[in-house]
Amino acid sequence: MISLYRPGDSLLHRLPAGPKLLVVMALALGVSLAPANPWTLTGTALAVAGCYLVAGLGALEIARQAYKLRWLVLVMVLSQVFFLPALTMAANVVRVVVVILLANLVTLTTRTEQLVDAIERALTPLRRLGVNPSRVALMLSMTITTIPVIAGFATQIREAQRARGVPVAPLAFVVPLLIMALKHSDDLADALNARGVD
Amino acid sequence: MTEIELSAVTVEFPGRVALREVSLHLDQRRIAVIGSNGSGKSTFARTLNGLVTPTTGEVRVHGIDPVRQSRQLRRRVGFVFSNPDTQIIMPTVAEDAAFSLRGRGLSRGEVRERVAAALERVGLTEYADSPAHSLSGGQKQLLALCAVLIGEPGLVVADEPTAYLDAANSRRIARFLLDEMPQQLVLATHDLRLAARCDIVVRFEDGQVVDQGDPDPVIARYEHDQDQT
Repeated sequence: MISLYRPGDSLLHRLPAGPKLLVVMALALGVSLAPANPWTLTGTALAVAGCYLVAGLGALEIARQAYKLRWLVLVMVLSQVFFLPALTMAANVVRVVVVILLANLVTLTTRTEQLVDAIERALTPLRRLGVNPSRVALMLSMTITTIPVIAGFATQIREAQRARGVPVAPLAFVVPLLIMALKHSDDLADALNARGVD
Repeated sequence: MTEIELSAVTVEFPGRVALREVSLHLDQRRIAVIGSNGSGKSTFARTLNGLVTPTTGEVRVHGIDPVRQSRQLRRRVGFVFSNPDTQIIMPTVAEDAAFSLRGRGLSRGEVRERVAAALERVGLTEYADSPAHSLSGGQKQLLALCAVLIGEPGLVVADEPTAYLDAANSRRIARFLLDEMPQQLVLATHDLRLAARCDIVVRFEDGQVVDQGDPDPVIARYEHDQDQT
């Protein structure tokens, strides 16, 4: 959800968000349940790479998205390498990477607005249970918007600490981050009020 | 022009009084609000949009009570905050502009058309699909203005809209607010050059209106008082 939409006119860009989400969920389930043999793993990875090419995102984008997962892959490998056979470990890593790449493919080819609308429609039956789908959709959009803001706060705090020669101290990092995040949520509430959201 | 009326408005926050018995009648197009830090100018600006509720007294903006008729008022009064980062609600530029049109019963096509026109007006068309937080400070403030103007309000209240901007972006925002925008404007600012370009200047100190009138004499008296302190 963090990587944002890349404009385009491919088949994947034109596919409505709801069906696209359902297809990705089905594929993710299929990949997770597929037998762990080298042919299936290679085929799955190639199929996902093919989807990126069909979406017009290019080989460089596949590499960029895969590179972002390097630390996750490292943690997964280190936590399994001594306890599981190599093929099982490789299958687990490939499954997780493929599912994340598929999810990223959805956000890269779907406007956030369309994704949120699809989620809102999917939640409509829950209205009977007191769930307000519009509020949930707004909350999702704002969560996506706020991630770079909080990341910016973290950078500001780290830079301020470095500038003052403060050694790395988790508490001295978390407390100002929490205060800035709370202040931001107050300001955001005012902005929502000013734009007519009660 | 929209009439702004305050009758004996007092606003109290825990431990301090932000506005004391303020009474005002304003119908000029460009209204500047000046004063020292903590003088009450931001609180005054916020009462006009219903973001702050008066403890006592009455506010009317174009005959609307900002507290009791808040929904109605917010379609007529847009608010621009000083920090452009805190005004962005949706992930991309076009989505953030479109957010202001929620609940207005417009079709997707109408929303798209109005967003395109509003982004063109502030020169952000090429950034429509960009993440809003990747814009520069000046562009973010233009997006905030776009998000306000897309709702076609009669009055725009701007609280220190140039405070976080460099000189070039400040000039760009000022030109847009003061020269290009047809709406009535209430501009709370420390920048006396901007205040001097308005039709009237209202000066707050210690929660009270201490001076108001033509910009030049009001600003001259303010600067004189500042020099004395």
